[in-house]
Amino acid sequence: MLEYSQETVTATFLGVVEQLTFMFGEPVDKDDLDTEQVDFTLARMSFLGDIAGSLAVAVPTAITGEIAANILGLEPEDLTDQVMLDDALGEMLNVVCGHVIMAVAGNDANFKLHSPEVVKVDETMLVEMLASADYFGYELDDSPVLLGLTVED
Amino acid sequence: MAFNILLVDDSATVRAVIKKALTLANVDINELYQAGNGQEALAVLEQEWVDLVFCDISMPVMDGEEFVAEMKATGMIETIPVVIVSSAGSEPRVARLKASGVRDYIQKPFTPERIREVVDSVMGVANDA
Repeated sequence: MLEYSQETVTATFLGVVEQLTFMFGEPVDKDDLDTEQVDFTLARMSFLGDIAGSLAVAVPTAITGEIAANILGLEPEDLTDQVMLDDALGEMLNVVCGHVIMAVAGNDANFKLHSPEVVKVDETMLVEMLASADYFGYELDDSPVLLGLTVED
Repeated sequence: MAFNILLVDDSATVRAVIKKALTLANVDINELYQAGNGQEALAVLEQEWVDLVFCDISMPVMDGEEFVAEMKATGMIETIPVVIVSSAGSEPRVARLKASGVRDYIQKPFTPERIREVVDSVMGVANDA
């Protein structure tokens, strides 16, 4: 099974997000994340090839407008179309995914990315993500964020 | 010189970001066409004169590699430059795409300067910034 370090995933994730959204993050223990009263939106996608698995990111729904606006170079109030907000979050994950795969499997890895899907996170999903060893915790501009990487054997 | 440019990506966000980067890079655009996958892109190429194509790899229906293969099979890749814009460009895949006739590869995230550099290189012109 492919072995990778959380540090590699973290550095790649935060670096790409900073370049793409101009938002700054840091790793935070999941137990210390303030997720009470927070509605999350999750983007997730799978990949196949030399390395197969899935990557997901959960962010507070309240910051999806800021993420989209920063990617597109617009003001958050200019973005009211939920489809566009979801598309931008999916694209952020898509870019992160390509970089994470090459960071953990090498630049010569052959892989195929599937299209991201974006869903609202319910209480059960949030509890599962917080309990899962596959999910890492972060604060992105002081907002709680979860990133989950699953690699198949 | 003003170009007719085709953007091929299933994400409207990416198409908007490339469009903005082209504008910020002062690339002179005549017409900007958009397609959500390779199949839609081929339909545009059948109908319109296109000078340059920016294309993603991972797309539903017909992905970037299939699109490039189709352009190669029909000979279009000889006359219409294709630039891949993706985050899924592993070294072997980029080498495979370039062997198929793709002119250049832009890794996401990218800057307007990178877009400008590639347009200048691929189109063989020096746009005035």
